[in-house]
Amino acid sequence: MRSQKNIFALTCVMIFVMVAFMPEIASSQTVRVFVPAGSFHSVLPEVPGEPIQVDSFYLDKTAVTNEEFVSFLEENPEWRRSEIPSIFTNAGYLKQWKSDLDPGYENLGKDRPVTRVSWYAANAFCAARGGRLPTLNEWEYSAQLIDFENEKEANAFSAKLINWYSGIDANNLGAVGSSEIENEYGVEDQFGLIMEWVDDFKPLIAEDLSLDCGTVGRMNTLGSVYSYAASIRYITRMSFNAKITTGMVGFRCAYNTPAPTPESQQGESL
Amino acid sequence: MKTLIILSGLLMAMFSQNAMAQHGGHMGHQQEALKAGDIHPDHSLYHLDAEFVDHRKAALSLDDFKGEPVIIVMFYGNCTQVCPILIQDAWRLYSSLDNSAQAKTNVLAVSFDTENDTPEVLKNYAEYEQLDLPKWHFVTGKHTDIRMLATLLGVKYQKTGDGNFAHSNLITVLDIEGKIAKRVEGLNQPVSEAAELITNMLTELN
Repeated sequence: MRSQKNIFALTCVMIFVMVAFMPEIASSQTVRVFVPAGSFHSVLPEVPGEPIQVDSFYLDKTAVTNEEFVSFLEENPEWRRSEIPSIFTNAGYLKQWKSDLDPGYENLGKDRPVTRVSWYAANAFCAARGGRLPTLNEWEYSAQLIDFENEKEANAFSAKLINWYSGIDANNLGAVGSSEIENEYGVEDQFGLIMEWVDDFKPLIAEDLSLDCGTVGRMNTLGSVYSYAASIRYITRMSFNAKITTGMVGFRCAYNTPAPTPESQQGESL
Repeated sequence: MKTLIILSGLLMAMFSQNAMAQHGGHMGHQQEALKAGDIHPDHSLYHLDAEFVDHRKAALSLDDFKGEPVIIVMFYGNCTQVCPILIQDAWRLYSSLDNSAQAKTNVLAVSFDTENDTPEVLKNYAEYEQLDLPKWHFVTGKHTDIRMLATLLGVKYQKTGDGNFAHSNLITVLDIEGKIAKRVEGLNQPVSEAAELITNMLTELN
């Protein structure tokens, strides 16, 4: 009898939790992709020639959209354009938006990635979502998980990437998912749409590198499809600081494995 | 906007006078009434809306220390080579203050190893270093909050393949409004300037 009562109570709690969490899941429409552990050759290896090991993690399938960022601002007024203190951003924060909570969808689109957000705002967004920004190594590892049929195809892709990096049109961004570039686990648009914040965008290991013309050349010793494009990314990131806001930088979030789910949260609270 | 800033400055001046007159006890109340965000100067780290936990398992946020200087050092427990020196540097700074200044100066030793440095581990660390002192807090927190604090301070850290961290060595002094007042970079650096600064801050208060 007693155990029945307990089961009944547990069911009630579970239903409550499901109902409480469901609208959020439905409205945010975020899909998280599981990225299994592995290794990759970084253009900035810890030990020259050695691959970098990456643990498994979850990564948002696509970048955070304007619409998702509005929801975040509704819940977290301190990150609105009129409220955010200057310690967290420069003056360009969400500059292109009509007002605090209105991006002006007719110009910016609901499904386009949010840009002109500082690293601090991106970090706060991911924290509010129960995640974090992906580390630089996680992001780069995921980005190179693409299978090519042959070298010719790989080289063509590389050329396309370099072309894209040299002329990102921040004023005419496509919707998330529109780049048609996808890694083998389904993470979309890591190239071809925007550049993205990562947790540690200025790696310590890069401290000694000066940003001159030779830097790309020195980094580009792997000779892989990605190394030239990757060098451009690393060097661009190194020129960032956490307060900058540009039209070509947005972000997506990552989550530790196992990812926090309503069930596991309930489990902890019981 | 400008009027708002001036107004909040005025309010702050009023309340800090109040706090001194009433001494301690009611301060917590006033902080609640004046929710963070509106009254902190733009470059105050009190804007960081993060709840940390110390080695005594007490919850704390930066603006708990409003009205007092704070020394912050970031480290991690498994770091046996450099970090003890860094922690000793913070101790050198703290211990060079006179007793009355020590009583009003807080030290936060914040770990960026959020996986391993639980409050229990930090408690052991504090005891081992003989620094389990009332004004000292060995602190952990959520990864995103710790990274945010580090970025605000300009402390870089990165986990390396062997489970260690590459990191900057930095001691920061926050003034009584949470603004960065002094940064001491590197190990075994002279701390007399930082100590003098803290002493002056506290003298101005009296």
